[in-house]
Amino acid sequence: MWDDEVVPTTALIVDDHPSFRRFARKLLESAGYVVVGDAEDGASALTAVRALRPDVVLLDVVLPDMTGFDVARELAEQEERPLVVLTSSRTAADLGTLVHTEDATGFISKRDLTVAALAALVSEAA
Amino acid sequence: MRVVRLLVWAGGGALCAGMALALQPVDQPAIVKHRAIIGLTLLFVGLTIGVIVWDRRPDNRIGILLTAWPLVSIVPDLRWIFWNHALPVTLGFATIELFAPVFVHLILAYPTGRLQTRLDRLFVAFAYAFAAAYGLLFLLFFDTRYPDGRYWLECGDCALPITHIAWYDVHRISHVFDWLALPLALTFLALLARKLVHASPGGRRIVLPLSAAAFLVAGQFVAQIVLYGSSGVNTMTNTKWFWITSVAGLLVPVVLGVGLLRARSGRSAVADLVVELERTPPGRVREALARTLGDPSLELALWLPERSSYVDSHGRPLEFPSSSAERAVTVLGPPEAPVAALLHDPVLLERRGLLEAAGAAARLALENERLQAELRAQLAELRASRTRIVQAGDEERKRLERNLHDGAQQRLLSLGLALQIARSQLGADANGTSELLGEAEDELRAALDELRELARGIHPAILSDQGLGAALRSLGERSSVPVTIVVDADERLAESVEAAAYFLVSESLANCVKYAQASKVRVSITRQDGNLVVEVDDNGIGGATLEHGSGLRGLTDRVQALDGRFEIESTPGDGTHIHAEIPCGS
Repeated sequence: MWDDEVVPTTALIVDDHPSFRRFARKLLESAGYVVVGDAEDGASALTAVRALRPDVVLLDVVLPDMTGFDVARELAEQEERPLVVLTSSRTAADLGTLVHTEDATGFISKRDLTVAALAALVSEAA
Repeated sequence: MRVVRLLVWAGGGALCAGMALALQPVDQPAIVKHRAIIGLTLLFVGLTIGVIVWDRRPDNRIGILLTAWPLVSIVPDLRWIFWNHALPVTLGFATIELFAPVFVHLILAYPTGRLQTRLDRLFVAFAYAFAAAYGLLFLLFFDTRYPDGRYWLECGDCALPITHIAWYDVHRISHVFDWLALPLALTFLALLARKLVHASPGGRRIVLPLSAAAFLVAGQFVAQIVLYGSSGVNTMTNTKWFWITSVAGLLVPVVLGVGLLRARSGRSAVADLVVELERTPPGRVREALARTLGDPSLELALWLPERSSYVDSHGRPLEFPSSSAERAVTVLGPPEAPVAALLHDPVLLERRGLLEAAGAAARLALENERLQAELRAQLAELRASRTRIVQAGDEERKRLERNLHDGAQQRLLSLGLALQIARSQLGADANGTSELLGEAEDELRAALDELRELARGIHPAILSDQGLGAALRSLGERSSVPVTIVVDADERLAESVEAAAYFLVSESLANCVKYAQASKVRVSITRQDGNLVVEVDDNGIGGATLEHGSGLRGLTDRVQALDGRFEIESTPGDGTHIHAEIPCGS
């Protein structure tokens, strides 16, 4: 998907379900991403992004303290904004117009979350 | 106390008789003696009525005042009959004008025995002070000499009061007092008129006869002063005025006594009430009672034994005030099991007989009214509980949806990721295991979809998160029939209202797909007059009913639980039109 010369893509996983974080990390690593960290809520996600500067943030829409949309908006205001991929166990239809936000690169339902789908979004944005 | 009253009555009678006897040897014309005896007789009649009223209503000051009035009218005459005895003369002068304040006190305090307004109290107090001052003038300075120094009685000293301290010509001063009596009488008439104007119709009916008699008494007094000067006319020699004064004076106790008797009956008004109650629809008993008792401000409180509380005729709980100067409370029925209570003008207590008879007559109607009120209260409670049940159901659905979402769904999603990783790690050649994993993933996706559909049916997350408009648009997007959705009310509403509207539309759309064979559907959500109006129209085959398990029955209940209205019009061949109105506050 990318040349060997290119520095590996770093990723941050934000989700409040530990099992999802664990398997998503394995999935992303199997595809060559370097998962630099994960976060279980919006506040720690923002801190982690500032500290770790990931290239991609896989961001769950439903978080305990704020919505993924709110996190995406704050990230979009940063100077070095990462690529934000929103995800949710709900479908796009469940989320209505909210998923079409400018603040994120795109949305993938967790049901349809595959390496290929993620790569397509990332390369589209790059 | 009855002994006291008997003694007063006997004493008063003896006084009248004694005075009549003592009059005989006095050097006066026969006509004067004759009229004095008539006057004494009439006063004794008044005294007798006064003692009867006092006996019947010992707790009411009216009886004492009515007894006192003839007495203080007789006693001053002692000074004429026993002119050469110091004690009767003293008594006579001490009570010389006392009949006037006792009279105004009696009339203004009728029928409760208490002076109602501050102005009344001030006036009566002043009248007593005025009479006392007048009497004091004679007690201290009475002059028995003519201006030339001659005594007008054979013995000058023997007609003096015990308290006498000096001789002055007090008659000039007493003339001034006599003239002052005129404005006082006029003030009294004004206060009496004011009392009549301010009374409730029922109260006015009670005080009017006595007030009329009082007008006559005070009116003839004023007329005498105006016509004949400050000391009035000598009724002993003027026949016309003798009778006017006597009759007016007798009218007061007679009218009052008759009023007391009437207070015990009032039967005809009650008879009218019984007839009226026959035609009185439930909920209007208060009006009928108010008319009978003549108190439009009458309030009715119905006693509900199960709740041990009073309610109004709509079944709403009522805080029942205790008796006060302005309002009196009469409980109908036995105290241990009251039927109802009346809150009314305290003047009506004077006609307790009427009050009790009317209450007894209305008992059955009130029982009926009470049952109605109880029913209404239960209905209101039922409504509230139905709403609460629907709300609790909604809460439970939300909780279930969250549990499914956070529990099983998350685990299945993780499982999907694990399968995906396993498949990628297995590589291409794995004896068909890779295909098997792929199939497992597909199966898992199908399971997830079903689970999501189930969760959504239980309670759509988008409805709680983003409101009715977003939820309906999402619903429309997923529908297999083309749906036009017009949402004219995009602000958030009460959860129960949003849920009812959402499920109404979702069930209707499901019916369109399942039964109606519609090719297009139009959903419209608008707000009208505090209602959320939900309309779903399709172009299908029609013929939908609430009866045949269409799921619409439950929705009707849901809408009605919110006090809403639900209509379905589904003529075969003409599509189905659903119209619902749900109160949504503003």
